[in-house]
Amino acid sequence: MSLLEARAVVHSYPGGVRALDGLDLRIERGRRLAILGPNGSGKTTALLHLNGILKPQSGSVLLDGRPMQYDPASLTDWRRRVGLVLQNADDQLFAATVAEDVSFGPLNLGLAAAQVQERVQYALEALHVAALAERATHMLSFGQKKRVAIAGLVAMRPEILLLDEPTAGLDHQGTEDLLAVLAELERSSGATLVLSTHDVDLAYCFADEVALFEGGRALCQGSVTQTLMDPLLLQQAGLAMPFLLKLGLRARETGILGGEAPLPRTEEEALALLMPRPAIRAGG
Amino acid sequence: MSIIDTSANLNRWRTRPLAEKTLLALGMLLIAVAVPSWQGALLVAAVISGVTLAGARIAPAVWWRALVAPLGFLLIGSLTLAFQVQGWHVSLAPHGLEQSLRLMARALAGTLCLLFLALTTPATDLVAGLRRIGLPAEIAEMALLMYRFLFLLADTAHAMNLAQAARLGHVTRRRRMRSLSLLIANLMPRALARAGALEIGLAARGWHGDLRVQRVTRKVSKPAIAAIVLLEGAMLIIALRTR
Repeated sequence: MSLLEARAVVHSYPGGVRALDGLDLRIERGRRLAILGPNGSGKTTALLHLNGILKPQSGSVLLDGRPMQYDPASLTDWRRRVGLVLQNADDQLFAATVAEDVSFGPLNLGLAAAQVQERVQYALEALHVAALAERATHMLSFGQKKRVAIAGLVAMRPEILLLDEPTAGLDHQGTEDLLAVLAELERSSGATLVLSTHDVDLAYCFADEVALFEGGRALCQGSVTQTLMDPLLLQQAGLAMPFLLKLGLRARETGILGGEAPLPRTEEEALALLMPRPAIRAGG
Repeated sequence: MSIIDTSANLNRWRTRPLAEKTLLALGMLLIAVAVPSWQGALLVAAVISGVTLAGARIAPAVWWRALVAPLGFLLIGSLTLAFQVQGWHVSLAPHGLEQSLRLMARALAGTLCLLFLALTTPATDLVAGLRRIGLPAEIAEMALLMYRFLFLLADTAHAMNLAQAARLGHVTRRRRMRSLSLLIANLMPRALARAGALEIGLAARGWHGDLRVQRVTRKVSKPAIAAIVLLEGAMLIIALRTR
């Protein structure tokens, strides 16, 4: 049984744009999922359904195998367990200072003041923004805003953290840092990470599973390597094969990489392929 | 607007309790207005300027830029007192110059006191303070949200303005007016879209309708309060003695 699941979800926006057209998606505990698709393929709309912000026009969303209800009590419980970080941090930050903004979610959970404070501190430290606690939210840089926005959800200790295009607009270093922080967070909190992106290389490096989105549907959901190896699927989704995967497959073809040896998933592993042969044996 | 806000958020006394800063500023203001001698007002002006520049370490350039605009009003307002108009004749009023100088001294001292508060205290702290002395929560929330959106709106307007300039929207006076009208007309729907997106963002964090956040409570330091009271007491005595 999946932790969170969408079954045949359909959603049309006013004006007749069908954003989701029978979406099936499964989120398994502890497996990083990348929702991968081009712009306008329904990624954001899907995330808004997984958090109960939007209600499916048909189909259903299931948490722990039970169909979700949309009354206020159920929604509160749902949003406590499933956190959503929006793409634009400015859509989330409303309070005067960083610490105040992060305290908003825990207070909505009805926690006592001391607990709220502890949660805020934990979240700020987890996202490496504790030094900014007293800073006014409108005086933060783009990357800092992003982290504070994520901290606002982390403070609610969700079981699943949905991130809508978390690396969009971040520079290379900012992206690397954010992914490292997320990995650390996953270890310390045990939260299941789900992120949407159009970046195949990012999905290949970061996720365990991918769901390929196209036209408001998941064409396919499966392990990263298996799914992204399929040229037909990629073509259908309008995506290119991740560079590292291409490299690994070519290395296998040419015999640089043994048939059973795992394909490189990181830059370091790929570079190791180019080392003299004994080094490969020692490493692999 | 922006330099005052930046300074309020980044000065050395940013985290001092609001009570200390308001006691200092409003106490001084009261002395400047209440004491009969105008030299007393000048003393207040000098001391509060010193506190702003040396105590809170506000950069003199920032302080001056924030002061220039009110200073202009002040000069015009008090200088007119020096003259009298009789029919078509404009002449110096009896005691006019003296009167206008007195007024100017008081008004300057008052302005400097409020400027100290504005440059050291973020608007959000002031609203929180008002909330504590009885401002309804709804109004306080509205004020804080408007404050937050002001910056987003200013950013958007700035970006749109640049985009217009880049496409020759400002080359003639006529076109500049047209661009401006388009900009204003477009800000409204943008603001609404922003508000809609914020609502989603808040809902994702379990929003039930009120915007409660946990504020850091800062302990008022007794020595600081004692020092402020002592300073103001001493100034009051000096000001009352000068004639």
